[in-house]
Amino acid sequence: MTKAAFQLLIITLSSIFLLGSCGNSEPDDVNVVDIDTTDENINVDMFASPDVDYHLPSPLQVASIFKKSGLEYNSGVTNDISNVDKYNKELYQMLNFGVYSADMAYCVLNEQSNEGRKYLGVITDLAGEIGMEAVFENEDLMNRFDANIENKDSIEILMIDIHERTEEYMEENDMQHTSAVHFAGAWTEGMYLGVYDYENNGNKDGLGAQITEQMAILGNIIKGLKDPKNAGMELGWVITDLEKIQSTFDNFDSVVAYYEDETADELTLSESEYEELGVMIKKLREKIIKG
Amino acid sequence: MKKFITLIAVFALGLVIAQTASNLTEFKENISRQKVEAKKALKPYRYDGSKVTYFNFKTYKQVKEVEIYLFNNTDYRFSFNGKSLPNDITIKIYDEDKTNADRILLKEADGIMGNNITIESSELDKVYQKEKGSDRRLKRVFVDYDIPGIPGTENKKPTMKERGAVILVMGYKY
Repeated sequence: MTKAAFQLLIITLSSIFLLGSCGNSEPDDVNVVDIDTTDENINVDMFASPDVDYHLPSPLQVASIFKKSGLEYNSGVTNDISNVDKYNKELYQMLNFGVYSADMAYCVLNEQSNEGRKYLGVITDLAGEIGMEAVFENEDLMNRFDANIENKDSIEILMIDIHERTEEYMEENDMQHTSAVHFAGAWTEGMYLGVYDYENNGNKDGLGAQITEQMAILGNIIKGLKDPKNAGMELGWVITDLEKIQSTFDNFDSVVAYYEDETADELTLSESEYEELGVMIKKLREKIIKG
Repeated sequence: MKKFITLIAVFALGLVIAQTASNLTEFKENISRQKVEAKKALKPYRYDGSKVTYFNFKTYKQVKEVEIYLFNNTDYRFSFNGKSLPNDITIKIYDEDKTNADRILLKEADGIMGNNITIESSELDKVYQKEKGSDRRLKRVFVDYDIPGIPGTENKKPTMKERGAVILVMGYKY
């Protein structure tokens, strides 16, 4: 027997012995399998979370907060469902998956269930394009929507279910890095709807405060987009635009003053600052939805 | 003879991989069940999302941090499930991230291993407002998991028994 063959035999017998022990041990010992000693390609560390992580709010929560801040429903402001045909590239499909999710939440919370149903349809179509068809493949989602179309609470619960299914599916399939791309679309749309209402329905203070509050999330969205796993998606222009929005906001006099004064309760931008922020949001949103 | 040994080796390796996959599947299934439990503890708050933090116990102390946003005077509840922990850890919630030496400790909780605990943002706000001497509410919090060092653990090649996870489920009052 050659030396190599002998070593192979030792490894084999060790492995068989290890397995044999597992079968006859107490439950606690079953887990004592040092997998790296038998296969270097399997490593439990691949499930270790990063040292610094974050949780982004769901589109429903964002829409709910905006509504509580005085946001009114404006018909025809959301992204038209017919635009879905323009989204042939993965990046636009993912961004607009987020945009339409925000639009659906906006419609549902404003008791526009028929509109919301249309958005569920395009979200389902886009999910099929971006590898998440399993989240929506069960027809019961649309049936549940139809069965509860007059019941806002039930539709909201349905939206939570969709959000949870999406979250779980992405975790199970190692797709969490793409959630930042969906969220970038949802965030931009949410901000756009807020800016539109702020500009067209009388500069409500609560709504203005909410627009500035949502800026807090932006840093982590940018961080998420920069995840190396997202490389190759041509995200450069999205990141550049979002970083420009972030740096412009951070340098507003009102923002600088707010962070210097620990006793200040709420951050309120000046009219010109709101306007500048609004222009940037609208430009980015236009680029995202045009496909 | 050599072919026979190779065949056995491949077969044994396959069994080891299958066993490992089975352990991982069981671990994942437990996480799913525990998430449901954590979600139940949120009621009557509305579910907003979850964050499962995975780690391996090592011989030295580690800290894993999760940033959470709190908006527009909304009340939040955080439900932590520690039933996938082989050892206890400490949960510490701060107003700033771990790079800030002057951050305020808002809440500390031990004994999460094997349990599900809930914490509400209102209690964190009270501590924050008292420390700051103002009415300003928290805009975000940083949840730190202080993972103690466990002597004798494998740092470079962790085994399944050294693996742990905390499930954090978040909800808001609507």
